Amino acid sequence: MNENKPTCKDVMMHICDNLGEQLDSPNCLMIKKHLDECGNCSHYFKSVETTIEFYKKYNVNLSEEAHSRLMECLGLKE
Amino acid sequence: MDELKLIKQAQLGDGKSLAELVKIYEQTVYNFSFKICRNKDKAEHTMQETFLSMVKNLNQFSGQSKLSTWLYRVVSNHCLMLARSDSKYAFASFEDEEADIDEKSIADWKVTPDKVTENNELKEHLDKAIEKLPAEYRIVFMLRDVAGFSTEETAKMVELSVPAVKSRLHRARSFLRNELNGMFNYE
Repeated sequence: MNENKPTCKDVMMHICDNLGEQLDSPNCLMIKKHLDECGNCSHYFKSVETTIEFYKKYNVNLSEEAHSRLMECLGLKE
Repeated sequence: MDELKLIKQAQLGDGKSLAELVKIYEQTVYNFSFKICRNKDKAEHTMQETFLSMVKNLNQFSGQSKLSTWLYRVVSNHCLMLARSDSKYAFASFEDEEADIDEKSIADWKVTPDKVTENNELKEHLDKAIEKLPAEYRIVFMLRDVAGFSTEETAKMVELSVPAVKSRLHRARSFLRNELNGMFNYE
């Protein structure tokens, strides 16, 4: 990464590398500044966040039948 | 009764406490397993294997880590074993990290991730996208980004170095984002 001014590609790579980490290095501060000023990178950042949120919110419920089969398999049938 | 008491009672052979522990974590384990396997039968099988491991090894559990952390590690291993036993399984290493990023004209997705489970078309898209990702990458993505473990915790659970976890996470994030981009790229 260029130490003076990161490119959009640098920023997008940084997003995928460091999303969710608490980083306050000078590089990270430059990335944050770039994100505030660049629509493309800001969209990219939001789309990566949204991708993660989709998978967080896509949940399935265990059925009563599957619960019963589990308890039976463990010898814990009520 | 708190969890440590339940574990101690279960270690002494109390079936009710053991059943209680299973009930506390069965939904979490099943849901995580489904997120890796993307198949309800395989998710149920992996959940059963995970709890069989728990019952078999509960006496060795010292309580130094959380039971949930231990279960995530066990279910991850079972998911990986199941994926590797699949005849179609082939470990694909995504080495060219820069290949996924096209920095020109990134569209605003203009979507909110609410109500995912009510949108069958979206669910199908999410399934197809993640099924293309090798299980080794899927597990890292699910532990770190979806279950919310730190990079270091994830590395311990899957017995990888922190840089290896970061590399797989990077590839998983950019790959999944790009796979979904076609659905939301309105420009």
